[in-house]
Amino acid sequence: MITIKLILIALLLVILRAFLVQKSLLLIKRAVAVLMFAGLLILVLFPDISTRAANIMGIGRGADLLFYLAHLFFLLVAVTLWRRTITLNDAVTRLARELAIRNAERPNEKAD
Amino acid sequence: MAEPSVWVIIPAYNEGQVLAETLRELQEYNASYHLVVVDDGSTDNTSGIAREFAVHLLVHPMNLGQGAALATGIEYALRQKADIVVTFDADGQMRPADINPLVEAVVKDGLDVALGSRFLKSADSKMPTLKKIILRLGTIFTRLTTGLNITDTHNGLRAFKAETFAKLHITQNGMAHASEILTAIARCKLTYRELPVTIRYTEYSKRKGQGASNAINILFELFSRGGK
Repeated sequence: MITIKLILIALLLVILRAFLVQKSLLLIKRAVAVLMFAGLLILVLFPDISTRAANIMGIGRGADLLFYLAHLFFLLVAVTLWRRTITLNDAVTRLARELAIRNAERPNEKAD
Repeated sequence: MAEPSVWVIIPAYNEGQVLAETLRELQEYNASYHLVVVDDGSTDNTSGIAREFAVHLLVHPMNLGQGAALATGIEYALRQKADIVVTFDADGQMRPADINPLVEAVVKDGLDVALGSRFLKSADSKMPTLKKIILRLGTIFTRLTTGLNITDTHNGLRAFKAETFAKLHITQNGMAHASEILTAIARCKLTYRELPVTIRYTEYSKRKGQGASNAINILFELFSRGGK
């Protein structure tokens, strides 16, 4: 039990650090990240809390509650990334278009 | 008014095998057309072949899709003060002789856009049956979503008044741009007419072109971008 807790805590800290070293990160995002990781840390140290919270919400096990929350979280991440991909694609398209137009090769014979 | 300048936009992705024939036919048909080949990041000698002809050549640094290639060519033509913009396929399916009636309709009758249709006259083009069915479903889909009563929704041969196209803002990079153009026609209340065109279903074009199954992809593209 102690070993898995140590591994999980170490991993959490590594990921949190990787997230926070980004220079251009809004303060609000830093705060949310720290709070989330603090919550996860508490859950790792005292797993019974999740069970109690689950029972209050009418869910059987703490693991189930975490499962649902994780699901929601990853859906949020997926949608965010997808939207960002579309924005990026549009930007790349516009960039490629401008490049192609600027480097256009005109026909030699025709002077128009 | 002086003779309007007609710009024919030809998106080409790995069309090295047939592009020469297509360009030769176009030049023989009407030498006054300005031809714009948009090489959509081809990995074959598409650009090299285009350079052998008196055409404007634009090269995308990577493959972006036919919709994006068309939009690039059209944007270029607009900056060159085009009067009429024609969209034409590189793969040899279309007949240059079908261009002029479309251009005439736009110039003489003052339409915003003239659309080619494969279904207006008795089908002499030997279209595969499954493709026919899918395209019919496409017309129903278009009628439901845009209210336009059009017989052929994914025909790539069209002529636009240039100033009109500038207002459409085509954002679909893939094949769904054809539906997007129709949506824009409905939204902007453009004047349009369909004219019969003949599409040649060669072995090459069947292999290279969109299979009927691509209809699924087009629907998906439309819906995934719909919310934007």
